Amino acid sequence: MTGKVMTVPVTRKDLMIVNMGPHHPSMHGVLRLILTLDGEDVIDCEPILAIYTEEMEKIAENRTILQYLPYVTRWDYLATMFTEAITVNAPEKLENVQVPQRASYIRVIMLELSRIASHLLWLGPFMADIGAQTPFFYIFRERELIYNLFEAATVEGVGIIGGEEAVNWGLSGPMLRASGIQWDLRKVDNYECYNEFDWEIQWQKEGDSLARYLVRIGEMKESIKMIQQALEGIPGGPYENLEVRRFDRAKNSEWNDFAYRFISKKPSPNFELSKQELYARVEAPKGELGIYLIGDNSVFPWRWKIRPPGFINLQILPELVKRMKLADIMTILGSIDIIMGEVDR
Amino acid sequence: MENDHLQNYLSDWLVKYELVHRSLGFDSRGIETLQIKVEDWDSIAVIFYVYGYNYLRSQCVYDVAPGGFLGSVYHLTKIQYGTYNPEEVCIKVFVPRKNPRIPSVFWIWRSADFQERESYDMLGISYENHPRLKRILMPESWIGWPLRKDYITPNFYEIQDAR
Repeated sequence: MTGKVMTVPVTRKDLMIVNMGPHHPSMHGVLRLILTLDGEDVIDCEPILAIYTEEMEKIAENRTILQYLPYVTRWDYLATMFTEAITVNAPEKLENVQVPQRASYIRVIMLELSRIASHLLWLGPFMADIGAQTPFFYIFRERELIYNLFEAATVEGVGIIGGEEAVNWGLSGPMLRASGIQWDLRKVDNYECYNEFDWEIQWQKEGDSLARYLVRIGEMKESIKMIQQALEGIPGGPYENLEVRRFDRAKNSEWNDFAYRFISKKPSPNFELSKQELYARVEAPKGELGIYLIGDNSVFPWRWKIRPPGFINLQILPELVKRMKLADIMTILGSIDIIMGEVDR
Repeated sequence: MENDHLQNYLSDWLVKYELVHRSLGFDSRGIETLQIKVEDWDSIAVIFYVYGYNYLRSQCVYDVAPGGFLGSVYHLTKIQYGTYNPEEVCIKVFVPRKNPRIPSVFWIWRSADFQERESYDMLGISYENHPRLKRILMPESWIGWPLRKDYITPNFYEIQDAR
């Protein structure tokens, strides 16, 4: 008796609240936005901050200016020179301290370099946000050139080791090569197939932290060259030496006896070390890594002595930091490049 | 092969100068090994340094046999400009277990600093004239010399497999 009643759908006019963040696809840091949307239009936006807060203003009330300087680099971590500049400028203006002209010029140079660095690092994520992903990587390459200059300013002339002193203290690796001694175990010992590649020993003469830094960067470039040459020239053939000490699979071999089945502490027969001794070494990135091995006609070695490069390179630290400023200790320690895993073993 | 014919170069040179030593042959890579007596070690170490061995690569100690001697091993090399086959030697100094004391070579090769401390820590060999001979890896109050073959780990009661 009645027809169907057509219900007309009524568009609901409620606004939608959407949360955006705190993580973003580019390097903005953590910012949480609460957006009120009407379809595609944004009606309101409420940013929620203070996810990354460290209460630096409260901390500043308990620190002198010099003590506070490391904190300021954490404000704008892409243009760090500006944060340090304002931290220094504000008390200077307060007390009316005169800055010499040369210092002022040096500050301007550092600040403008930092400005370039910051704009470069803005450009990358900005283009990535819009959609062009590649420039993100190119800007870091340009920033590297600026980093080199900043590094040299901090690190030059710190922690100088002479050539003979380096040899006497038993240093090895980049520490030795940065003091003018061209000693690289890959060329001296000729192990593996390093002599088939065309590469140079990276070395510097000055012996300070900047020299060690340059040696390590140069070594990375040489390694890339070596890898490319190796990939081109890799020979065919087997990669295992199947003749070495296989264990006996014959019918009544002693490895299938009662003792080997049920007493689990007996190791399975594998490589046996004869009663000889040997000091083998490689050129590890930190220096000369050596093993002094005394075999014992069994599968276990009699003595396995590890010569860690970090342990021996660390010996020179007390000598280097005497009469240096406290802040230079970290520079020198970093340039020695130790890792406590091998120092302590 | 580095050495086609292995010759006791250093041993012959020491004999020429009438320095008491004993040649222990060669290790698997053909490095000459010499044994020096404890009493002569400090003077012969200086002689080696003057002869050109300016790099103390590695100093370690090992236990020759349970109840037997303790051996202190020094690997010396000559670092010179442009050598691709440097001269090396391995020197061993043996001391009895009861009162092991060896003169320190810290004042000749500085790289013996931490290494001799580690040898003292692990095996108990006292290095005379070492400026700060104290334990380096184990805590200072530890009793016992861990790397000796007759060392019993305290409070470690896992059932050992009798060999």
